[in-house]
Amino acid sequence: MSRYNNFREFYEKELRSDLESIDLRRRVTNKKALTALLITAIAVLTEVILIPGDTDFPKPVPIIITAFAGLVVIGIVSENYRKEYKEKIIARIAGYADEGLEYSPEGFIPMDAFVRSRIFNLSCDKYSGEDHFRGKIGKTDIEFSEVTAQHRNNSGTGGKRSEEYTTILRGLFIIADFNKHFKTHTVVLPDTAEKLFGKFGQTLQSAAFGRGELVRLEDPRFEKEFCVYGDDQVEARYILTPSLMERILAYRKKWNTRVYLSFLDSKVYIAISMYKDLFEMRPFRPVADYAFLEENLKFLNLITEVVEDLNLNTRIWTKE
Amino acid sequence: MLYAIIVAVVVVLLSAILIFNSLIRKKNDVENAFASIDVMLRKRYDLIPKIVEAVKAYMTYERELLTGITQLRIKALSPAITPEERVIIENRLGQQLTSLMVAVENYPDLKASTNFLQLQGTLNEVEEQLAASRRAFNAAVTLYNNSIEVFPSNLIASAMNFKRRTLFEIPLEKREEISAKPTVNMA
Repeated sequence: MSRYNNFREFYEKELRSDLESIDLRRRVTNKKALTALLITAIAVLTEVILIPGDTDFPKPVPIIITAFAGLVVIGIVSENYRKEYKEKIIARIAGYADEGLEYSPEGFIPMDAFVRSRIFNLSCDKYSGEDHFRGKIGKTDIEFSEVTAQHRNNSGTGGKRSEEYTTILRGLFIIADFNKHFKTHTVVLPDTAEKLFGKFGQTLQSAAFGRGELVRLEDPRFEKEFCVYGDDQVEARYILTPSLMERILAYRKKWNTRVYLSFLDSKVYIAISMYKDLFEMRPFRPVADYAFLEENLKFLNLITEVVEDLNLNTRIWTKE
Repeated sequence: MLYAIIVAVVVVLLSAILIFNSLIRKKNDVENAFASIDVMLRKRYDLIPKIVEAVKAYMTYERELLTGITQLRIKALSPAITPEERVIIENRLGQQLTSLMVAVENYPDLKASTNFLQLQGTLNEVEEQLAASRRAFNAAVTLYNNSIEVFPSNLIASAMNFKRRTLFEIPLEKREEISAKPTVNMA
């Protein structure tokens, strides 16, 4: 690891002073934001009272404009120290977790990689993300970020058309180099059909539209949790060995949420559904909070542990 | 009444055709899967002489093992043996290759040779693919066996004289016990 014996030491020597200066700015900014909020509130209230309701001029317009302007001002004053926090603190925690790990707060896994993984069948119409990490752990290249992918549903016709978005994935998306070569595509999905409908669910699964063939694996516990589709029955099993199945089961248990895996171009793509916003600061709490930052570090370690969890550094096959 | 009979006959005929097709498909899947095992076995045959050649110069105490491997390979390739015999020979060949790779641990020079490491990687890959194709074969056979035994497809299967196939016995891979409790709170 790094030059420091433990995270406490690293925290004291590397992070503390920056945290304190950020905290100072946070308090000043909060004061400014609070003032802006107050002024906005007073302005809105004044408008509500003073603008007469019986004129031709629509009363809500100036009120909305004022409120909106107030929010923009609050946004501007708060944004800058959040960015500084990420660039100075989170980036350094990433370096502490693993020296090769690079962090870019605004970056994210590109949408075409997300789509290419073919984990989700719904077309992706709205896509965003943040907190992108990239690095090499042992022999394994890895990158991950938070992503939010949404699908647009159009309902109604003509003048009554309305757009609604359903969330395809909100959570983590990880791309890591896999330790074997393979040519075809295999996808491992949480098994919702079989859990609900049992044997009939299997029939439903085999009819899943737009997927490869259903791959029935011999481990009943794995089959209960996941269903697997692949372009090639043998290659799917070449990837999903009994020991990898065991590891994937443990991995799902560790996250305790829906986990999706896709094996493509000798890489593994992993989507983890999660509603936690990671690596953010809390505007109304002191920044120099050791326990909170340690939790961030633990979480980061949890993600990079995928290399060990899925045994990706074992290179006893032809892939280096 | 007549219509009802016609409809019933059509339904029965149609489902018979569907069942027939699905049986044929499953039978072909079994054949395909078997062929893919054969492909992997051939890959292994091609690899064995190269491995023996690479380790011969280093290994002094394992002459017998090396000769055994070479002879088993020749036996497996001879056209005179029955499929059952071949399975036995293949299994022994696999075991002996494993012991060879264990014996390699005693020869640091050998372990440092890039040529050998490359061959070892290829062997690991072929073995893994072999295991995968056996598992694929077993999965195809299970589907096929189930469908020739359950009603109503068993009627058609017995009319066509489809027989049960036997599964490959796969040496149990050592299962690592990995236990994990949820460590993350997703809320």
